[in-house]
Amino acid sequence: MAAAIAAQQLSKDFRVKVRDPGLRGAVAALFRPRYRTVRAVRAVSFEIAPGEIVAFLGPNGAGKTTTLKMLAGLLYPSAGSTRVAGFDPWTGGSEFKRRIALVLGNRQQLVWDLPALETFQLNRAIYDIPRLDFQARVEELSDLLGLADVLDKPVRQLSLGERMKCELAAALLHRPPILFLDEPTLGLDVSAQDAIRRFLSAYRDRYGATILLTSHYMQDVTALASRVLIINRGRLLYDGALEALVARIARTKRLELVLGDGVTEQRLAVFGTVKSFRAPNAVLEVPRAEAAATSARLLAALPVVDLSIEDPPIEDVIRQAFAAGGEAEE
Amino acid sequence: MSPVAVWTRRYGAMIRNAWLVDLQYRASIVLWVLWGVTEPVIALGIWWAIAGDGAVGGYARDDFARYFFGVMLVNALTIAWDSWQLDRWIREGDLNYRLARPLNPLHESLADNLAYKVRGAGTILVVWLAAASVWPAVRLPFDPTRWAWVALAVALAAAMRFFISYTTGLLAFWTTRATAIMELHAGVGMFLAGRVAPLALLPPVVASVAQLLWFPYMLAFPVELLTGASLTSDKLLRGFAGQIVWLVIWIAAYRLAWRRGLQRYGAVGG
Repeated sequence: MAAAIAAQQLSKDFRVKVRDPGLRGAVAALFRPRYRTVRAVRAVSFEIAPGEIVAFLGPNGAGKTTTLKMLAGLLYPSAGSTRVAGFDPWTGGSEFKRRIALVLGNRQQLVWDLPALETFQLNRAIYDIPRLDFQARVEELSDLLGLADVLDKPVRQLSLGERMKCELAAALLHRPPILFLDEPTLGLDVSAQDAIRRFLSAYRDRYGATILLTSHYMQDVTALASRVLIINRGRLLYDGALEALVARIARTKRLELVLGDGVTEQRLAVFGTVKSFRAPNAVLEVPRAEAAATSARLLAALPVVDLSIEDPPIEDVIRQAFAAGGEAEE
Repeated sequence: MSPVAVWTRRYGAMIRNAWLVDLQYRASIVLWVLWGVTEPVIALGIWWAIAGDGAVGGYARDDFARYFFGVMLVNALTIAWDSWQLDRWIREGDLNYRLARPLNPLHESLADNLAYKVRGAGTILVVWLAAASVWPAVRLPFDPTRWAWVALAVALAAAMRFFISYTTGLLAFWTTRATAIMELHAGVGMFLAGRVAPLALLPPVVASVAQLLWFPYMLAFPVELLTGASLTSDKLLRGFAGQIVWLVIWIAAYRLAWRRGLQRYGAVGG
C-alpha cells in the first residue's frame, strides 16, 4: 500500500538576522545587517502508512512543527520532497487541502466572539459539505467529544479543554483522511487530555485516518502512537516502536520493592544502585540483562513483600535519546 | 453544486460571520462611522470658511458641500483596512490554519471588506439622506446614466484600494513595518486622492504628480463623477483608463507578493 505520508530528505533552512545587543547593535544592524542560516530540518526521511498514528517527539525548537508545516503545505522546503495523500503539499491546491486537517494547539481557527457552531457553518461552506452530511457529522463529533452543551456558547466563554474539543471538531467536519496535530493537548487538564486521546483513537478506528502528532505529554504518545519519530536539532534520531526505543536506549531496569522489616539501604545496595529508599519502599536500578536473575537473588536473600520490574520512566528514556542525538551532533 | 452556488454560499457564510462579530462590538461601529463623517466635515468647514461668499478654484460653498459629502460616501464604499488584518495574520501565525484550508485567504479578507462596507456606507447614506432633507446644496440630481458611471467607477476604485491594502499587508512577509507603510500611503492619499481638497485646488506641480499615480483614481475621480457638472467623454475615458491600468498593476503586484511571500514565509514557531 502507498504511504499516506512520505518525506524524502526533507530540509528547511531559515535565514535569521543576527543583532548584537544594545542600541549600538540595533543601529549597526540597520546599516550592515548580518544573517545566520538556521538549519531547522536536515534531510529527514520517513514513511507513514494509512491508518497509522505516529508521534513526533523532540525538545522545543527541534524541528517538529517546521516538518509538520512542510507536510501540510504551509512551508516551502529548502530541499527534499514530500508526498501526502498522493499530493505534493506545495502544489496540491484545494484537492490536497480537502484531505488534510491541521490543528495547532496554540492557534485557533474558531471565531472568538461567536459560538463554535458558527465556525462549523463557515467550514461547511468552505469545504462544501452537503447539509445532511453536515448535520450528521456535527452530531457524531459532538457525541464523541461531549460537546452537546458547548456548541452554542461564544467561544470566549469556553474552558481551554472545551475550546480544543471544538477546534478538533471544526477541523474534522470535512472528514480528512490525514491529520496533523501540533500539541493538541497543550495546557489541558488530565481529564480533557484523556478525552481527546480517546477521541483521536476512535476517529482513527472509525475512518482509518492517518495521524501525525507532536506532543510534550508522554501519555499522548504511550496511549495513542504505535510508532515514534524522535527529532533533535533538525535530525531524525529514531523511527520505530516505543518499546524498541526503550530496549535500545535504556540499559537498566527498575526493581520497585516493598520490603519486610529489618532491611537496610546497605544490604540492598549489594544488589544494584539504590535510586530511592524510604522504608518499606525502595527502588533499585540494575543492568537490563540481569534484572530477572537479580530479582530471584533478592527474593531469596531478603524479606520482600512485593516486587515489580519496570522500564525506566519513558520521559527519562526520551531525554537520553535526545542527549544521545545532541552528543552525536557536537 | 455549481461553482456559482458554492462561492455564493462561501461568501454568504463569511459575510454573515463578519456581521455577527460586528454586532458584538457595537460601540466600535459608532466610532468608525463618526471617524468616517468627521474628517470630510472638518475639511468642508475649512473650505467653507475660505470660500466665503465667493469661490476658490471654481468651487463655491455649495460645491464644496457636495464634494465633501461625495468624499464621505465614496470613501466609505471604497475603503480598505485589510492590510492591518493581514499583517496580524502573518506576524502572529494566524495565517497558518488559513493556508491549510482550500480557500485563498484573500477571499476571507474580501468578504470582511464587503461586510464592513455595507455597514459603513449604509450608515453614511443615512447621514447623507438626513442632511439632504434639510440642505438642498447636498442633493444630487436624479440622473441614471451618471449614477451608472459612478457605480462602475466606485467598483473599480474599491477593487484597486482592496488590492493596494492587501498587497501592502503582504509586505509583512518581509518586514514588521507593513502597517507603517500603509499609514504612509494613507497620509499621502489625504492630499493626492482628494480627501482634504478637490484636486483642482492642489498646487499645479503636486496635481501633475498625482495624475501620474493611482491616488486620484481611488477617490477623486468617482467623487467628481458623482458631484461634478460635466461628463465629457474625454474625462470619462481618461478616468476609467487610469482606473483599469492601475487596477491591473496592483493585481499583478498582489500576485507577485503572494507567490514570493509564501515561499519566504517563516511561519511562527519551530
